Formats: sequence, C-alpha cells, structure tokens
Amino acid sequence: MFRFPACLVGAAVALTLAAATPAFAQQLELKLMAPAAPGGGWDQTARSMQQALVASGVARSVQVTNVPGAGGSVGIAQFVNGAKGDGNQMMVNGFVMVGALAMNKSPVTLDQVTPIARLTEEIQVIVVPANSPIKTAQDLAAAVKADIAKVTFAGGSAGGVDHVMAALFAGAVGADAKKINYIPFSGGGESLAAILGGKVTAGISGLSEYEGQIKSGKLRAIGVTSEKRIAGSDIPTFKEQGIDLVIANWRSVVAPPGITPEQRKTLSDAVEKMVKSDAWKEILKQKGWEDAYLGGDAFADFLKKETVRVTDVLKSVGLVKS
Amino acid sequence: MTSGDPAQPRRVDRAGIVIAALLALLAVVLVWDARGLQSAAMYGMGPEAMPVVVASGLALLAIGNFIDALRGNLPARESTDPVPVLLILVGLALLIAIIGFGGGFILATSALFVTTSAAFGRRAVLVDSVIALVMSTLIYLAFDRLLTLSLPAGPLERLL
Amino acid sequence: MDTFAALAHGMAVAVQPMNLLYALIGVFLGTAVGVLPGIGPALTVALLLPVTYKLDPGGSLIMFAGIYYGGMYGGSTTAILINTPGESASMATALEGNKMAKAGRGGPALATSAIGSFVAGTIATIGLAFLAPWLVDVAVRFGPEDYFALMCVAFVTVSATFGDSPIRGLTSLFIGLTLGLVGIDKLTGQARLAFGVPELLDGVEVTTLAVGLFAVGEALYVASRRHHTEEKLEPVRGSLWMTKEDWKRSWKPWLRGTMFGFPIGALPAGGAEIPTFLSYSTEKRLTKHPEEFGKGAIEGVAGPEAANNASAAGTLVPLLTLGLPTSATAAMMLAGFQQYGLNPGPLLFAERPDLVWGLIASLFIANMMLLVLNLPLVGLWVRLLAIPQPWLYAGILVFATMGTIAAKPSVVELSMLAGFGVLGFLMRRFDFPIAPVVVGLILGPIAESQLRRALAISLGDPMTLLQSPISATLLGVALIALLAPFVLKGLGRFKPNED
Repeated sequence: MFRFPACLVGAAVALTLAAATPAFAQQLELKLMAPAAPGGGWDQTARSMQQALVASGVARSVQVTNVPGAGGSVGIAQFVNGAKGDGNQMMVNGFVMVGALAMNKSPVTLDQVTPIARLTEEIQVIVVPANSPIKTAQDLAAAVKADIAKVTFAGGSAGGVDHVMAALFAGAVGADAKKINYIPFSGGGESLAAILGGKVTAGISGLSEYEGQIKSGKLRAIGVTSEKRIAGSDIPTFKEQGIDLVIANWRSVVAPPGITPEQRKTLSDAVEKMVKSDAWKEILKQKGWEDAYLGGDAFADFLKKETVRVTDVLKSVGLVKS
Repeated sequence: MTSGDPAQPRRVDRAGIVIAALLALLAVVLVWDARGLQSAAMYGMGPEAMPVVVASGLALLAIGNFIDALRGNLPARESTDPVPVLLILVGLALLIAIIGFGGGFILATSALFVTTSAAFGRRAVLVDSVIALVMSTLIYLAFDRLLTLSLPAGPLERLL
Repeated sequence: MDTFAALAHGMAVAVQPMNLLYALIGVFLGTAVGVLPGIGPALTVALLLPVTYKLDPGGSLIMFAGIYYGGMYGGSTTAILINTPGESASMATALEGNKMAKAGRGGPALATSAIGSFVAGTIATIGLAFLAPWLVDVAVRFGPEDYFALMCVAFVTVSATFGDSPIRGLTSLFIGLTLGLVGIDKLTGQARLAFGVPELLDGVEVTTLAVGLFAVGEALYVASRRHHTEEKLEPVRGSLWMTKEDWKRSWKPWLRGTMFGFPIGALPAGGAEIPTFLSYSTEKRLTKHPEEFGKGAIEGVAGPEAANNASAAGTLVPLLTLGLPTSATAAMMLAGFQQYGLNPGPLLFAERPDLVWGLIASLFIANMMLLVLNLPLVGLWVRLLAIPQPWLYAGILVFATMGTIAAKPSVVELSMLAGFGVLGFLMRRFDFPIAPVVVGLILGPIAESQLRRALAISLGDPMTLLQSPISATLLGVALIALLAPFVLKGLGRFKPNED
C-alpha cells in the first residue's frame, strides 16, 4: 500500500488495508492457540513463543489462548474451523497430538492445517533399575524375544510417544509389537517410582526427566533414540547397538487451513526470525529444550511421515481400529 | 411432587421410584457402553470390567432405593418454590448461550448475575445490571490484563 | 550436625529485611490470585512465576515460596466462605468450613485453617529437612498393588461422609464412580461414556463437579426454599477469633492431619485428596461433638486443612530427592528451580545445598508471613458474607462459573457445571449426601488404574495384592475398619446392661 501516493488514498482506506495485509513483520498481531490447559508443555511453548516474538521485535503483540481437551483434539477442531484463512493465527502442537487425533477418531486431522515449523524436540531413553540383569539394548531385545509378556514397560499415557516407542522397539527387534506389555502411568513421577522400585522391567521417557537418576547411578540408561550420540554423553544410541529405533518427542507450530502463500511466508519468516533471536535461545536454555528448528516444506514432509508412522504403530498395538 | 407427610409414613413415594428407575437406567447405559469396548492386547483386566462392576452396584442400589420408596420411608421433604429455581436456570442457560454465540464474558456473567439476583427477590433490574456490568468488566480486565488469561471475548470486550 | 548448620544459614538469608518484604509481597499476590475461583495453587504459581524472574536468586526463591503458600491458602478461603473449592484438595475443607461460615463462625474457620496450615507446614517442613532421604526409599517401594490397597482404605473411610442412610450414601458414591468412568481409559486409550463428545474425552473435572454440586446446587436449593425461611447470614456470631474451646478442639486435628498429609503426600502417587478425606473421617470418628459434624464442626476444618498443607510439603520429598514432580504444584516448583538452570534430583542436596536449604528456610518464612498477613484479613473476608442475599448468591454464581470459563471456556463444560448444579439441587431436595459423589469421582479412577496396572504386571494374577507386604497390611487395615463397627455392635449386644 505504500506504493500509492498518500494523497490518492483516504486515511480510512489506508487503515483498513493495513489491517488486512500485514506487509511488515513488525506489524504482526498474532493469536497463538495452546490446545492444552495453562501450565502444560504446549502452553509453555506458546507462552515462550509469545515472549520471544515480542522481545525480538518480530511481532507487536501475541495473545495466547488455551483450548484444552483430549490431547489437543478439541483445540485443533476449533482452530481448523474457526481460524480458517486467518493469517494472524497459529497453534502449537506436537507428537502427542498425532496419536490423540487417531485414537479419538477426530474428524479433523493434521492434513488440514498449514505446517509452519518444528521448534523443539526431546530425545527419548529406555532405562532399567541399576540392579537389573539387563545391561544393554541387546539384553532387553533378547528378553523381549524370549517372552514378550513378561517384559513390562512403564511410561506415559496410552498412545503417547513412550507407548509408540515401546511398540517400535519390539518391532525393531523382531518381536510382535501387538503383544507388548506396556503399562501407562500418569506423569513421569509415578512411572519412575515403579521403575526404581523394580516393579517393571524397563521405563521409557524423555531423557531430561530421568537425567538426574541416570547420573546418580540409580537407573541405567540402555539406549537413547537420537540418530547420533549426544555430545558429551556416554549413553549409546539404539542405532549403534544395532536396533533401528529413532524417535523424538517434538513440538511444532502450525497455521490455519486456507491461508494464502504470502500469509504462510509471513508467518514462516516470523517464526524463523524468532528461532534465531537471543530471546528464544535464552528461553531454550532456561527450560532445557533442544532446538530442533525445521521449517517450510521439510517440516511439512516430516509431519506427513510422522503421521503415517504413528498411525501404523497405533494400529499394530490395537489402539486404533484399522 | 409428593410431599412426605409424617402422618402417613407408609405411602408409596413416587419420586423415590423415579430415582430408582433412573439408577437402573444408568446401569443399563453403563453396560451398553462397555460392550463397545475392546480389551485389545492388554494383560490383566480390560477397560470394560470397571463399568460392569459399577453397573452391578447401581442395579443393586436401584433395588434398594425402590424398596425404600415402596415402604415410603424416605425423609420428609418441604415444598419448594419452582419460580426462583427456574429463574436461575434461565440465567445459566443465558450464560451458556451468550458464551456459545460469542457474546463474550461480560454480557454472559451479567445476565447470570441479574437473573440470580431477581430469583432471590430483587426487582431493581436496572441497578443490578449496572453493578453486574461494572463487576464483570473489572474481573475481565483483571484476568486479561494482569494474568494474561483470555476469557471469551465478545463485542463489549473488544471495546476495552 | 550439617543439617542444622545449613538450615541456620538458609534462615539467616531469609530473614533479611528485603527478603521478608519479598515474602510478604509473594504471600499477598498468591492469596489475591488464589482466591479467584478456578485458579488453584499450581496455576497461581504458573501465572506469577514471571514476577520473580527479576529478583536475585534468594529474593526470587522466597517470593516464590510466598506465592505458593498464598495460593494454597486462597483456595481454602473460597471453599470456606462461598463453598467453592478452588481445587480438589480443599473439598474436604468446604464440607464443614462453609457450614461454619453460614453459622457465623467463618472467622474461627478461617483462623483454624490458617493456623493449622502453619502448624502442619512447619512440622512437615521439619520432616522434609530430616526425613527426606529415608522417606523416599519407602515411597519408591509403593507399587500399583499397594496404591490400590491404600485406595481400599480410603474407600472404607468414605462412609464417614454418608450421613444417616447407607443406601443413600452408597447411591451418591456410585454416581460419583459412574462419572469417574467418563473419558479416555488411561490404560487402553479407549473412550468410555463419552458418546462422541470430544470435550468429554478428558473426563469430568473434579472442580467442575464440586463447584456445580456445592455452589450452584446450593444456590438453587436456597432459592427454592426462600418462601419457607428467610435464611439470614450473620457474618459473625460469637467471637470472630478462635475461642479457648476452639483451640482445644483444633490442635489435635492439626497434628493428626499432618500425620496423614506428610507421608501420603511424599508418595509419588499419593496426592492431597486422600489424606484430606482420611483426616476428615478420622476427626468425625474421634470427635466429642459428633452432632456438630455436617453442621460446621471445627475439627472438620482443622484436620483436612492441616493434611492438605502437610501433603504439599510432602510432595517436596520426591521432588528434592528424586527430581520427581508428583503434583501440578510440584511441577511448578520445578519450574522455579529451573530459573537457575538447576534440575532437582539425587545430586541436588550434594551439589547445591545452599539453594535447597534456602528454599526450605523460605518455606518457613513464607508460612509465617501467611499467618501475619491473613489473620488480620479474616475479619475483612468474613464481612463479605454481610452482602445482601440476592447479591451474595448472584456473586457466588458468577464466581463459580467464572472459574470454569477461565479454565475450560467451552459450552459443554459450562453445561456440565449447570447440570451438576441441578443434580446438587435434586440431591439436597431428596436428601442424598453430596460429598460421596466427589469422593467417588476422585478415588474411582485411581483405584481402577492402579489395580489394572498391578494385574498387568502380574499377568492377571490377583495374588499379587497379597504378596506385597505393604498391600497385604493395608488391605488388612481396610478389612478391620470395615468390620469393626459391626463386630463392636455385636459385642455390645452380649454385654449385660449394667445401668
């Protein structure tokens, strides 16, 4: 609109145009939905984005709304229907939503949203109590192959990343993933107690959650799910132990369906700028999150592949009817 | 509605029979719902066990309540005035409708405030409306500005 | 002894005038936000945490502790004054506390709750300082079967909330159990009783049910009976303060509540609800004034409030020693630590004793500040009840629905709140007790998932419940508690009447 001489355009028209086409990132007034209750992981991601977007001058204002319910199923339904075509709205989501949508038979799927970027991820780990006879991933694989029912895995909610990972592990070592004895606990605390108390064979969780116990020697980490060994860590990956198990608990941000390519670019640029800002890096450090920025089509691809992979696993363990 | 008259304690209590029937119905719904569950790939107890246990309990309690009602030995009840109750329910319905149709927090809670106040015998609707609007606006501002928790916004909230 | 020296050092830091001021501000903010309905302590801390970022570590920690305790106390205030518990842990407080407030004894109720919180918080913090390493070893031994057995004990004691008729009490309890089934089954991810409504998949929120049954139901009931008796609330009848008698009746429940709260809170899946109910039913059994229960017995406020606070300190045991946040509030505490790039865990006591003891000292101070700030406010709070009845109840309803609107602004959730209000009204009218419904909703799902976990681990062998010594003992306790009243009655029959 700045192409037009000011004298030709009435002030009122200019104002409406300015509101309709935010040509400059500095003018962004964003609405960010956290499809979860205040305080949780997605909410914290949204509020951290709010902080970083404003602090780095990418956006003038960011408003966070919370729409909790059923692993994000409620939020995404509202987002897809209510924000269609709105280039000033985004929603935080993550791995858990993929499984939740499949399990809850949600009419809305992640195919409908416009992918913007993956932001963070957390590496997963399998641990056993310090006094367990299982020392390596291969030991655990042997136990699973010998009698899969007797190997109990403790982890987070049914259909979440821990559960998917248990099934992937069983599949990767050639056992029947359908028969895994996975015991979901609510929250890392409860499952950790069950592992420390020797009630279960092994535990699955995000690495940071068990880091203290691993360092103090109460738990033994038998493998992490990263592609390569984490710098400065002596925990082997599953890959180097000959088990093809790579997975991470990622969080990302998406835009509504039906936005124009320009709107998508504006949002993508804004997020990219935010990710590179010092404010965001400071927050990542504070919260202990791993930067896993992946933008544009690469993320869209990733999202598609994860959706297929997770849905297949959930079908194989009988959580989703095929 | 029947009112339990202490002089005739043996009369059948119709409300009690309705309660028993509702409990039995609830038990049926539980069992019906549990039948749709599959206990796929689980060791131990499936997801359908607990609903069946609860349903059995409800069925037994339905019988117990039914017997109590037949014997008429339910506690005595005083008569109630349905008008205020209806007024408050209208207020709650208004609140839900206003929120549902995007009318915003301030209008919705003001509607509830005024109807409830009327249910408790006040007739000064105008004064109450002003009080309600001021109060809910203050609450809205406190949540929105100080705590950055967004309450449902409607036309009034957008003016702020 | 190391512990003493470290604690003394922490104290010395905490009592500096600036830090005391921070503690006071923290407590004030925490109380102010905590009294807002729907905002429990965890959310209070989450919302106010950014305030503390700007201070130096010592000041920030101490303000944080203040916010935490302030938020806890704020929740109890609404439970007592307007029957709107801000979180499930203050539900037991509402049972007697609100009755006391209605009878003009709101002052003593708030006072016993504040002082009880202080006493329990102090004892539990001492317990934390000295027993944590030992307690955590015991806590970790609790397996799913043991939790199930603990639930059985809790279920048996629930009967204390039943009122005169077991059939009616059980009916209420089973309605609660039914509501507890709604939503995604935790172990298989399948939806139960959700009827295709996505908002129901997460189950029934305890606070929605409690606020609906208690606050909305009561408003409807009082409105329906206005033509009978104009209920007049007298904000203060008798003393605004606790009388000598009140003190005498409060101190033992405080101590017993602490004994329930601290150890159960220290269990990774213990929570605050079970100790508050255990405390409530214990006080009801032990009281010398059983006739006052249900009409506003001070023991019924003193015990559960102490248990609630002690369990909050208890959750710090697994948090500080294992790095386990076992409650939403503890998770926020963890966030408080992460401000300094610290991860609580087994190494924390060894690596950063200054911060750990600083926090513990801050908790002492914050607890004290809470008392200093809130006792003078009791008089003010109680005056709220002097608001004319139409405005009072209209305000209560607005507050009650506001909590739901703030937490889950959906039409479904609000309809549930209204529905529970009607249920609460009908239950009052037909004389069914209210509390067992909420108890069933809280305990049912925990008992079910722990039992199923235990059975999944044992591959379906129920003997696992008796093979664990903890579980076997607890089941024995539950059985004795269940049978004792009958046996005693039976024995009483054989006793010759000596009068």
